[in-house]
Amino acid sequence: MLHLRPHNLLVQKTLSEALEANTNGTPLTLDRIVSDFDYTTLHISNAPENKGVLWLSIRTKAWQSISQCGSGLVEFILTKYSGLGGVSAARTEPGYDFTLQVDLSALQPDAIVQLSLLKVIIMSFPFQLAFDKVAQLMQLPEGSNSTDEVHKIQYRDDENIFIKPSNDRITVIFETFFQDETDKVFGKVFLQEFVDARKRNRSIQSAPQVLFSHEAPLEISRVVNQGRSERSKRFITFVLFPRHFQTPELQFSSVCHLALFRNYFHYHIKCSKAFMHTRMRYRVDSFIKVLNRAKVDEEDDAQGDASRRTISGRKMVY
Amino acid sequence: MSQSLRPYLTAVRFSLQAALTLSNFSSQVVERHNRPEVEVEHTSAELLFAPMHISRNEHEQVLIEPSVNSVRVSIKVKQADEIEQILVHKFTRFLEQRAEAFYVLRRVPVQGFSISFLITNRHTETMSGAKLVDFIIEFMEEVDKEISEMKLFLNARARFVAEAYLGEFVY
Repeated sequence: MLHLRPHNLLVQKTLSEALEANTNGTPLTLDRIVSDFDYTTLHISNAPENKGVLWLSIRTKAWQSISQCGSGLVEFILTKYSGLGGVSAARTEPGYDFTLQVDLSALQPDAIVQLSLLKVIIMSFPFQLAFDKVAQLMQLPEGSNSTDEVHKIQYRDDENIFIKPSNDRITVIFETFFQDETDKVFGKVFLQEFVDARKRNRSIQSAPQVLFSHEAPLEISRVVNQGRSERSKRFITFVLFPRHFQTPELQFSSVCHLALFRNYFHYHIKCSKAFMHTRMRYRVDSFIKVLNRAKVDEEDDAQGDASRRTISGRKMVY
Repeated sequence: MSQSLRPYLTAVRFSLQAALTLSNFSSQVVERHNRPEVEVEHTSAELLFAPMHISRNEHEQVLIEPSVNSVRVSIKVKQADEIEQILVHKFTRFLEQRAEAFYVLRRVPVQGFSISFLITNRHTETMSGAKLVDFIIEFMEEVDKEISEMKLFLNARARFVAEAYLGEFVY
């Protein structure tokens, strides 16, 4: 599995099961908590009075910072689900950030994927604001078409995404830091390859430009808080050009990939560690084989020491 | 094998062969004790022989410390950059955790070296000395190869992963 999928497989599966059971006339009793990347929890449960209606609640670390990016987050999410039958807003469940009500009797199978994309849709709100801003700035005359608007998504404890729109591009900056010393070194190798990949491979020339630095890029220097020691922080910058967000489909696909960048990158660090582990295991076996070759067989040994036995047949030890 | 590696390994091989003349020797201090004399606080200097230090360059060295009933062989594996440092550390730790399968491996390397072996007279009695030397030489060859292969693999994977990710943005 090379790429991580943006939708949550478990949510998709749960909803498919629930939908199937409901059409068969035996609605499931559900109370399922599903986790996703970056401290995100989804909760799927039956509405108290009607088993044919499900509640899909989400709690995510990024919610607070995303809702501060601009007004209309809830409306934005609801427009994404407006075309789908059976999905409507519900009163937010306590302990969660947002709740959708899913009426299984009116739900289309196609809508299930869209529901399992809930986290990415929430994450895409600041991106959407940035896309709109770029479109607005492009119309304005030269000189007055700049903005210092920066959207910040705090999606993990010490890691943030900064999105800065300007008149001809969007700069997406990931602020990250590595807890583990090994991850830090492996991460450096991986990040360096992200920077170099575009230069080296002609077929991906049109991908966004990637930059990597240890200091906050100038675009975001005033919004970065200087909390953690600067030495362990890394900044990865993606520069999106208009060709990456021309149509809504392209916008969505770009956002999906960017939202999963950190997960993708850490996932592959873990994968290479696991591969090395199997490799070392194999190597240990081959070393042990070589060492065992050195052992002298007991039979060969017997001729030399056979005479040195006690009367009861025990070997002499001296 | 590169030009300078062969003489280095040959030197290690002959030094080891010379050092592996071990005999059973009970402790002079404690009755009924029989312990590797290189490892104990030596009150008796006559039991320790002159250590041999073979060095290819500052990153690759071997220290052979012979004594009357045991030899300690410490190997410093080449670590050119921080990736190799981590790989060597991971790999040697992995081996040391499985030390009982290796009989001659020491659980903790000697200060300043990556990995240490301790060969006692018991080992030379149950194993062929020449084959033990072969094992250590092969180990030295393979470790270098393994580390550079793992490093290449890491880079290749990173490159592939980065290209696959950015490839998704090509429309």
